[in-house]
Amino acid sequence: MTLFLQHAWLIPSLPLVSFLLISCTPLRRKHIQAAWLAIALIAISALWAIGLLVAVASQVVQRPGEPSGFAFAEPALIQRFDWLPTGSSTMQMGFYIDPIVAVMLAMVTITSSAIHLFSLGYMAGHPRQARFFSFISLFSAAMLLMTLADNLLLFFMAWEIMGLCSYLLIGFLYTRPQAAQAALKAFITTRIGDVLMLLGMVYLYTLAGSLAFGYRQGEIFAPDFLQQIGTETNRLGLSHATTIALLLFGGTIGKSAQFPLHVWLPDAMEGPTPVSALIHAATMVAAGVFLVGRTYPIFLADGGTALAWVTFIGALTAIVGASIAVAQFDIKRILAYSTISQLGFMVAALGIGGWMAAMFHLLTHAFFKALLFLGSGSIIHAMETVPAIHRIHHHDEYAAQQSAQDIRNMGGLRSRMPWTFWCYTMGYLALIGIVPFSGFWSKDEILTDAFVHQHWLSYAILSAAALLTAFYMTRQWRATFFGAFRGDKPRVVTASESESHMHEHEGAHAESDPAPQRWPEDWRMIAPLVLLASFAVTAGAFNLPFAGGHWLSDLLGQEHASFNLLVAAIALILAGIGVWLGWSYATAFSDAHSSDPLEVRAPSLFQSLNQRLYVDQFYRASIVRLAHSLATLWRWIDTRIFDRTLDGLGDLTLRFAHVNASIDDRVLNDGSDALANGTVASGDLIRRSETGKIHDYLAMIFAGVVILGVIYLYLF
Amino acid sequence: MTQAVSLEYVLIVAAALFCIGLFGALARRNLISMLMGIELMLNAVNINLVAFWRYLEPSYVTGQVFVLFIIAVAAAEAAVGLAMVIAVYRSRTTLQADEVDSLKG
Repeated sequence: MTLFLQHAWLIPSLPLVSFLLISCTPLRRKHIQAAWLAIALIAISALWAIGLLVAVASQVVQRPGEPSGFAFAEPALIQRFDWLPTGSSTMQMGFYIDPIVAVMLAMVTITSSAIHLFSLGYMAGHPRQARFFSFISLFSAAMLLMTLADNLLLFFMAWEIMGLCSYLLIGFLYTRPQAAQAALKAFITTRIGDVLMLLGMVYLYTLAGSLAFGYRQGEIFAPDFLQQIGTETNRLGLSHATTIALLLFGGTIGKSAQFPLHVWLPDAMEGPTPVSALIHAATMVAAGVFLVGRTYPIFLADGGTALAWVTFIGALTAIVGASIAVAQFDIKRILAYSTISQLGFMVAALGIGGWMAAMFHLLTHAFFKALLFLGSGSIIHAMETVPAIHRIHHHDEYAAQQSAQDIRNMGGLRSRMPWTFWCYTMGYLALIGIVPFSGFWSKDEILTDAFVHQHWLSYAILSAAALLTAFYMTRQWRATFFGAFRGDKPRVVTASESESHMHEHEGAHAESDPAPQRWPEDWRMIAPLVLLASFAVTAGAFNLPFAGGHWLSDLLGQEHASFNLLVAAIALILAGIGVWLGWSYATAFSDAHSSDPLEVRAPSLFQSLNQRLYVDQFYRASIVRLAHSLATLWRWIDTRIFDRTLDGLGDLTLRFAHVNASIDDRVLNDGSDALANGTVASGDLIRRSETGKIHDYLAMIFAGVVILGVIYLYLF
Repeated sequence: MTQAVSLEYVLIVAAALFCIGLFGALARRNLISMLMGIELMLNAVNINLVAFWRYLEPSYVTGQVFVLFIIAVAAAEAAVGLAMVIAVYRSRTTLQADEVDSLKG
C-alpha cells in the first residue's frame, strides 16, 4: 500500500505524459487512439489515487488542536528536493500529502476519467478531437499537481497552468467569435484574482521566508509565526494575517467565480460540455475553495476579520447566483449559476469556520455537478440532431446551438432518454438536498454549522439560496423532461438574446406525447453518467453525522459534526416548498414560444435577473471603457507624437541627403570636371605656339633675346 | 689707325650684317639658305668682337682667340648642320623648312 504513497508522483505525471504524447507525436492525427490513450492513463491515475487514499487512510494521525481550535491532520508524506538556490538558503519543491490531498486526488481523477470517457462520445467526429484530449489531460495534470503541491509557489504555478487550459478549452471552438471572447474574458477575469493572490504570496514570503506548507519551524503554519502575523499590524491598520488572507482570497474570488469576478463563468459555457463539467463545475472552480482550505491557519490567525469578509462574499455569491439562475433559459447557464451559488455556499462555510463542511460539500458537489453537466451534454448532443433544430444550423450555427440548449425547446425527454433522465434526476435530487442523497448531508452540515454557531444572517441567506436552488432546478428539470416535446417547432434563440415577441399558443395541448420514440444514447456518454450518479447517491455516506459514520471527518482529523434535527427538518421543508413552486411553475410551458410565468407577473424583476443583474453591462461601461480610453490615448500618442517625430526625423535626413547629393554633384563632380577641362583647354591654347616650323621657333628665340636684352640693359 | 674709321661704323656694319643674316634665317625656306644666314650671323658677331678688340683693348689677345674659337665652332656647326640637312632630305625628300613640321602640336 505504501507503494502508492511512495510513487505519488505518478498521479500527475501520467496525464502529463498523455498530453505530451498526443501533442508532440503523430498520435495527434489519430483521434481514436489518442482518446483511448488519454482515457487509459487517467484511469490508471485514478486507480493509483484510490490506492494512495487507502494507504493514507490506514495511517491517519491527528494533530493536537492548535489555539485556533483547528488543525490539519499530520501529513502522510512530504517529499522535497532542492530547486532554486536563493542566497544562503535553497527553495525547495515537492509533494505534501495529507488526508485532504488524498481525498481530492481521488475525486479529481475519478471525475476526470469519467469526463475523458464522456468526451470520446461527445466529441466524436470533431476534426481536432485529439487536441481536445491533450488539453484535458494537461488540465488534469495541472490540477493534480496543484493538489499535491507542498508550497504556495508550486501551487500557484499549477493554478496558472489550469487557467491556461481553461482558456484553451473554452476557446476550443475558436471559429466562433463568442467562444473566443469568452475564453479571453475567463482568462483576464481570473488573472485579476491571480494578481492579488501573487501579492499575498509575496507578502507572505517576505514575512515567513518560505512558502512551504507545514507546522514545523520555517514553514508557514508554524504556531509562533502565525501568532506573530496575527498580532502585528501593518500600515493599513490591518494585521499581516488579515492582509495576506484577503489577498489570497482574491485569487479565490477570481478562480471560484465569487461575486465581483463571477462574470466569466456563465460565458465559459461557450466551451464544449465536457469542459464545462470538468473545469467549471468539479475541479478548477473548486481550486479556489481548496486554496482557502489549504491555507486555513492563516485565515484563522487574525481572530476572524478576514473570515468575516469571506463569509460575506460567499453568502452574497450564493444568493446572487441562485437568483439569477431563476430567470435563465439556457440549460447550461442555469447550471453555471447554480455552480456559482454552490461555490458561494462552500466559501461561506469556510468563512463561518466550517472547514470540514466546506470540504465535504466540495467533494459531493464535484460529483453531482459533473453529473448534471454531463447529463445536459447528453441532452444537448441529442437535441442538436432534432430535424427542426438541425435545419437552423444552415442559417446560423450559433443560433442552432443556442436553440438546442434552450429548455423551452425541450420537454418530454423522460421517455426519449431514460438513462439520461434517471442519472440526471439523481444529480438533481442531490443538488437540491433531498435525503438520503449526498447533497443533503453536505449542505445540511453547512447549515448546521451556521445555526449552531449562531451566524443567523448567514444561515438565513444560505437557507434562502437553498430554497431558490430547489425552485430553479425543479423548473429546469420539469421543463426538460416532462410534458410534450416542444422541439419540433422550436424557438430560435439568436445571439442578441433578446425576447422579440410573445407568441400566443394556439389550441389545446396534451401533457404527454403520443408514442414517443427512444432517442439513441451513446454508451460512452451513459457509462460516466451512471458512475457519477452512483457517487451522487452514495457519497453522503462519507460523512454521515451519526455514530459510526464520520469516515471523512476521521480521515481528515477533524471533529465530528453532530446531527441537528431542527436544521435538517427546516432544510427539507424549504426544499419541498421550492420543489412545489418549481413544479407548478413549469406547467406553463406548453410550447416553445410561450413566455415564462414569472416574466409575465414581474417583468422588470425578471428582466433584470435575466440580464444577470447588469453586472456585465456595468463592467463594460466602466472598466472596459476605461481600458479602451487608455488604449485610445496611447494610440493617439503613438500616431500623433511618436510617429510624427520619427517621420519628421526621416524627412530631415532626407533633405540633408539631398543637399549632400547636390553638393557632391555640383561642386565635387562638376568642379573637378571643369578644372580638368580648363587644364586641357589651356593646354590646347598653348599648343598653338608649337607649330613645328623652325622659322617660328627661331623667331621666338630672337624675340626672347631682344626682350632679355632690353630688360638687362634698361631695367637693371 | 683710329682716324681711319670710328668704332660705331664698324659696329653698324656688324649689326647690319647680323640683321641680314637673321632675315635670311627667318625668311628663307630652303634649309641650306637658312644655314647661310646663320653663318652670316656668326660672322657678324666675329666682326663685332674684332672691332671691340681692335679699338678698345688691342694688347689683350683674348679677343682674337675668341674669334678663332667662334670660327672653328662655326665650321663644325656648319658641318653638323649640313649633315642634318642631308639626313632630313633622305627621310623627307624635301628641303623646305615649312614642310618639316612633324613636331607640330
